[in-house]
Amino acid sequence: MKWITARRRHPLAGYVVVILALTLFGVGYAYLAPGADRAEAQTLAAEATADDEQTDYALGRDIFTQSCASCHGDAGTGSQNAPDITDAGAAAIDFQVSTGRMPSMNPDAQMPRKPPAFTQDEIDALITYYEAEIGSGPAIPEEVPGTAPERADFEDEEAYEAAHAEYEASYEAYLDGAEDVEAGMKLYLTNCAHCHSWSGEGGALTDGKWAPELHEASPRQLYEAMVTGPGQMPVFNDMTITPEEKQDLIAYVKDLQAEPNAGGIFDLNRIGQVAEGFIGWTVGLSLIVACAIWITAKQRAHD
Amino acid sequence: MSRSTQAPKALRGAGNWIDDRFHLAKTGEKNLRKVFPNHWSFMLGEIALYSFIILLLTGVFLTLWFKPSMAEIVYDGSYERLNGVTMSEAYASTLYIDFDVRGGFLVRQIHHWAALIFVSSLVVHMLRVFFTGAFRKPREINWLIGVAIFTLAMLEGLFGYSLPDDLPSGMGVRILQGVMLSLPVIGTYVSMFLFGGEFPGHDIIPRLYMIHILLIPGILLALIAAHFMILWHQKHTQYPGTGRSNKKVVGTPMFPGFAVKAGGFFFFVFAVTVGLSAFVQINPVHLFGPFTPTSITSGLQPDWYMGFMEGSLRLFPNWFDINIAGYAIPTGVLVPGLVIPGLLFGGLAAWPFLEAWITKDKRHHNMADRPRNAPVRTGLGAAGITIYGLLWVAGANDIISETFSISLYALSWFFRFAVIIGPFIAFMVTKRICLGLQRRDRETLEHGYESGTIQQLPSGEFIEVHKESSTDTVHVLQSKEPVERIVVDADGVDDNGVESPEKRSLSGGLRSRLAHWFTKDNISFEGVRPHSGHHLHHGGHSEETAAEQPAATH
Repeated sequence: MKWITARRRHPLAGYVVVILALTLFGVGYAYLAPGADRAEAQTLAAEATADDEQTDYALGRDIFTQSCASCHGDAGTGSQNAPDITDAGAAAIDFQVSTGRMPSMNPDAQMPRKPPAFTQDEIDALITYYEAEIGSGPAIPEEVPGTAPERADFEDEEAYEAAHAEYEASYEAYLDGAEDVEAGMKLYLTNCAHCHSWSGEGGALTDGKWAPELHEASPRQLYEAMVTGPGQMPVFNDMTITPEEKQDLIAYVKDLQAEPNAGGIFDLNRIGQVAEGFIGWTVGLSLIVACAIWITAKQRAHD
Repeated sequence: MSRSTQAPKALRGAGNWIDDRFHLAKTGEKNLRKVFPNHWSFMLGEIALYSFIILLLTGVFLTLWFKPSMAEIVYDGSYERLNGVTMSEAYASTLYIDFDVRGGFLVRQIHHWAALIFVSSLVVHMLRVFFTGAFRKPREINWLIGVAIFTLAMLEGLFGYSLPDDLPSGMGVRILQGVMLSLPVIGTYVSMFLFGGEFPGHDIIPRLYMIHILLIPGILLALIAAHFMILWHQKHTQYPGTGRSNKKVVGTPMFPGFAVKAGGFFFFVFAVTVGLSAFVQINPVHLFGPFTPTSITSGLQPDWYMGFMEGSLRLFPNWFDINIAGYAIPTGVLVPGLVIPGLLFGGLAAWPFLEAWITKDKRHHNMADRPRNAPVRTGLGAAGITIYGLLWVAGANDIISETFSISLYALSWFFRFAVIIGPFIAFMVTKRICLGLQRRDRETLEHGYESGTIQQLPSGEFIEVHKESSTDTVHVLQSKEPVERIVVDADGVDDNGVESPEKRSLSGGLRSRLAHWFTKDNISFEGVRPHSGHHLHHGGHSEETAAEQPAATH
């Protein structure tokens, strides 16, 4: 306490108090703010998995009525809150639900990627119901590797290891199967980079929308996004960009993201020049100026 | 007691050998004993000099392997991800420097970081000179040289950024071409001339290379040499203090004190630059991929020093684009791309002459102004920083929008208003702060500083004891030049009813009004004697009132 008492009239004391208070509020808010979307998603998932006896169709119907129908309507024809999904197709459903964007908590806002509310089995059940009752559209590209298996879905370690190894193998095989790096690069830089940026970091769009980052997206999700065109994104169907070209494109962006940062341990999130300029001023020049102050202060008065 | 301080024999021998031939002893003695005033802010320009030296050294290293050629080749090299990709030789040789030349990657990163630090140190050095009034007579020419160095450094950086022919390089050159094309009448000719045909052609990189490694560095080197020779001749400015005056510099002699300090400082600059280059990735051209005219990406900016131009291009609306006889005048590019930077840099270059014209100040100034003692200049500087800074930040509007989840449109509109309103607010706030500091200076000069000791007088009154400031503080406070308030009355007539001759001309009238604006709020220190205030000498009330209105009594 004595240490504080001695310094409480220091010219900088006021700033220190303000910074501490802001930090306290910030951290406190982040800690206490409810993670509403996650909480609800978890209960839905728990309810859905509880019912092992149900057939895919019945499970899918339950999920649809609980999580989709309130906005998209019982027949999937949409409402003022949500679009008609009768021609969305299995690929769109798999994309939207497996990236956690659907079910959405706020129909007015663009949904960010978040942990999915349903397991892959439940999504498959939902699609079974959708295809039977609601409508049809682009199918899931089954040959493209999807999301990596999760430990929680397996009884024992061994089964998980096996499934994981299988997934890794198919992932590698898909990326290695891409023939033409240059074609993939040109397709990505011509069609994708002006929204998602060269690194797949994402970017700002007009009207308060944004293009999401592509780091977590599985090859299958990238493929599905191209064929269904979620949100602001245009559709790149298999006529515009053939499945082989899509493979080249996906391999290009995934290889680029897996690339280590040869230039140093801090990659500045690959944001680029804005971050570099910021570091140049705040770290580079500031350190040098601090050195100038230091050596001038340490100088003897008369030599 | 006094021991002869003869130099060692070997040194004497060498010294005599040189002196016999060049007669350098006298010049050497004079110049080695030359005095430099000490202050950390006087070392900001040195940062620029040292970064420039680092740039020259690393640049020479890079030229050993870089091939400034746009010939298309199919890459087959150590960077396997891009094997089989068609690219220019310039890009391929950059990959070669990164992945095959020992230490090449590090040197390229040092070159880039040093460039960022070079231009930023130019900016802070320039701000120091501006706010301390060190550009005043006799140093106007050195200020102009500084503005030229700053402008050339930006171009040099832009061209260097364009050389590797990676994705951002090509996009930068494309914007450069767009700005050229916006020039009325001559735009297309200028573009065709620079590119040797249509964009991008095969000539641009060899040409930019020549400009980047030969032309601009040559001019920069000459300008820096001139800058230093003039500085040497005119001597450095110094801050006010005991024993310092317009005619007498107090500081460290060139040799050995200052030379050791400056030499050591070089290694600090070098260490920070290399430290950044070793740990922080900058401009990873191998990740970007080669440029093709069809490629475009979001989330890319120019290097920071071009950011304000990027921002002005992003903010300026296209409402004023016009057509004259079928020829488009794209003011939406022309104004933000050329007119706004032109005004900013033109204003910088013209300011010393403008200020001298306004204040009619023809004296030599070797003492640095304290920024508070020139409130209007300091306010204008703050306004300039605000415009520049807002344009600069606006150049990153998409990154800010995405990082902080703010609508891009909202952000652009905010910046459009802020860039117009902001400078006025900055000017007013800064000027008020300066005036407040001036008042406090007068208070301190008059009364000493608050000691924190409370005393009760026999009458029961409580006072805080003020103590006398140190002589150095008094010298600093007294350094404020008496600025006469130039009063302009409504009709510009003097006491005898005669109109001043200056008022009759349009520029004269403008000048006197500006002079009035420049000086009207200055706090007068006239008649303030140090430590004459009542808190020190608990005298009668008559002295107290006299001290409170010092200007009125004299």
